[in-house]
Amino acid sequence: MTHASGDLLPYQGERGGSAQKKQGMLQGLMRSQATFAWLLIAPAALYLVLVVAWPLVETVRLSFTNANIGGEAYIGTANYEKLLSSRKLGQTVSRTFYWMFLSVSFKIIFGLIGATLLNAAIPGRALFRMLVMPPWIVPVAIGCFGWLWLYNGHFGIISGALQYVGILDGPFEFLAYKQSAFYSAVVTDVWVGLPMVTIFMLAAMQGVPRDLYEAAYVDGASRWYRFRRITIPQILPVIITMSILSIIWTFNSFEIIWILTEGGPRSATTTLIIDTYKMAIANFKFGQGAARAVIVVTLLSVFSLVYLFALHQIKKRFEAA
Amino acid sequence: MRTKLLFAAAAGAGAMMAAASAQSAELHFIRCGDNGLDEDRKVIAAFEAANPGNTVNMESLPWGTCQDKSLKLASAGSPPSVSYMGSRTLKQLADNNLVVDVKISEDQQKAYQPGVLNTVSYRDKFWGFPRAFSTKGLFLNCDIFEEAGLACEAPKTWDEMYAAAKTIKDKTGKAGVGLTGKDFDNTMHQFLNYLYSNGGQVIDPSTNEITLDSKNTLETLKFYGKLVEVAQEGPTAFERTQVRDLFNDNKVGMYIDGPWARGQHKEGITTKAAPIPAGPSGVSGTLLITDSLAVFKGSGHEELAMEFARMMTTGDSQYTLDKPDGWGLTPILKYEELGYEKPYYMDDPYWAVFVDSIPTGGPEPLFVDYKAMQTTINSMIQGIILKDDTAENLVAIAAEELEEFK
Repeated sequence: MTHASGDLLPYQGERGGSAQKKQGMLQGLMRSQATFAWLLIAPAALYLVLVVAWPLVETVRLSFTNANIGGEAYIGTANYEKLLSSRKLGQTVSRTFYWMFLSVSFKIIFGLIGATLLNAAIPGRALFRMLVMPPWIVPVAIGCFGWLWLYNGHFGIISGALQYVGILDGPFEFLAYKQSAFYSAVVTDVWVGLPMVTIFMLAAMQGVPRDLYEAAYVDGASRWYRFRRITIPQILPVIITMSILSIIWTFNSFEIIWILTEGGPRSATTTLIIDTYKMAIANFKFGQGAARAVIVVTLLSVFSLVYLFALHQIKKRFEAA
Repeated sequence: MRTKLLFAAAAGAGAMMAAASAQSAELHFIRCGDNGLDEDRKVIAAFEAANPGNTVNMESLPWGTCQDKSLKLASAGSPPSVSYMGSRTLKQLADNNLVVDVKISEDQQKAYQPGVLNTVSYRDKFWGFPRAFSTKGLFLNCDIFEEAGLACEAPKTWDEMYAAAKTIKDKTGKAGVGLTGKDFDNTMHQFLNYLYSNGGQVIDPSTNEITLDSKNTLETLKFYGKLVEVAQEGPTAFERTQVRDLFNDNKVGMYIDGPWARGQHKEGITTKAAPIPAGPSGVSGTLLITDSLAVFKGSGHEELAMEFARMMTTGDSQYTLDKPDGWGLTPILKYEELGYEKPYYMDDPYWAVFVDSIPTGGPEPLFVDYKAMQTTINSMIQGIILKDDTAENLVAIAAEELEEFK
């Protein structure tokens, strides 16, 4: 034993040393693993710093300057003060939210209706599912130029058709008036965004277990009741997710309005993002444009936080289930 | 000894090369549109022959982007040497120290048509070489006039113009007049044609005072609003080329355009050009618009660039651009006084419409922030078209806003 112990002693000693060595190696490995991990994510991190963080910091910096084509100088919060004291800002913000509310509401409502119809066992269902895709597939700019022609009062098909059926007694320029230009832009935005919402909701509906419907059917539940009490609760996470993503995309929607109206007439379709572009890029007032961009980013961050919170709640709900 | 000679020869060659490289330059020239490229190439060849070792890199860009590209390059610190710019941008460029003032000889100054140099003048200096000049006239579609039972005679006053437009509208259902109202430069330009024909102005160039809020502007804006009743549907969706399309489709009886329009009207329709009708407080006038070649600061060879711009804007080079088979512009120089035998506009009633109105024309207003100025005036015009407010309020608001941009 002693011998053994004696034998063991140096061994134990060696073992103790080995453990220390191993621990050291482990720490080294962990360190090297951490280093390795950092090495792996470094390109992505660098990319994010270059294309997201740095422009963001630069935008915030510019917002405190009077940067224009002639140069720049620090002017403190003057851009923000000017912006916040402008009566046009309030109008632009409320117009942006109204635009967002209308567009997102229509996308969600029609997306839900469309998905329900596409989910129904009707002949030619596959064809209809395919037909819903083009607005999503066609590049937005090309689609918008198509709508530009449709809305033309003198050559467009909408005005022509309405004259043909007697609703209009002459050509009507949809993009020439404040109200009609705004709602025309909403229609186009819904047209562009609807297919994705529909497809996502359709996918969610197809994931609802059939036995829930069968049980409800056996219990005598009507179609409407089954839709309200089974379909909607089951696809609610997708509805919430799509709503929040649609809010972000619609808030940020630029090309549709720009191609159709450039924000006119008389700013009737100028949303925050259009206003920012006009100020910074079209008018070369980079400082004032940057102040608007900071407001846009702040609002988008709020929407993103809501989105992350909603995702978290949905995840918790599923884990509990 | 041989080694020393070789060394001396090499040193000499090196010094010559260095000197040559110090003197040689590549000028970056931005021009707009693709019309007249060959003529510009000829001038470039002549310039390069006259300045050995120096070259010109010509970049021809579409009309919608050429000016913005030059501004962006300048603001990024790598300006073009020479660029084609609307003269309305010169005040902003000069105030931001982006262009150099150009030297135009006394003789050359005398050769320009009246009013042309006013469009490039600011702080008693010239900030660009005038390159393209236009005045405007009223075009009549005689076929529509006849369809409405009217003789194809040009209205001389606003009252006559409105009466003719109303008759066309009532008798044919077609638009009596084509109006522009889109947020575009030529909406402001069209309005200024009427304003200058009613004795008004936007800014007094001598005092830099905003003079928009006047009886003359008020009358003009009210008349513009009145024309909406007899114009094509939805003027706020139209800019000049779109109105021209309607004119070519026999849907509009009259509209305002430049001298180049004759070549862009559809064959088969009978047209007539006439001076802009006079308002109640003025005489027939026109907007004098020029585009210029601006010499940007910071290229390192401004003097050479100025020499190149001077070559482009004088003599045959300028005449070739102006004449009908070039760009078809109002003559920017008094060619008859420069020894040109029977220039294209002499003894031609069509060209008389565009040349005779020069003395009563007014310049495109020069503002430090010309885009904001344009947006403000367009908003005022759209306001009366859409009946958003009274003419009095619209003019007062616009005049107040313009104070910030002068």
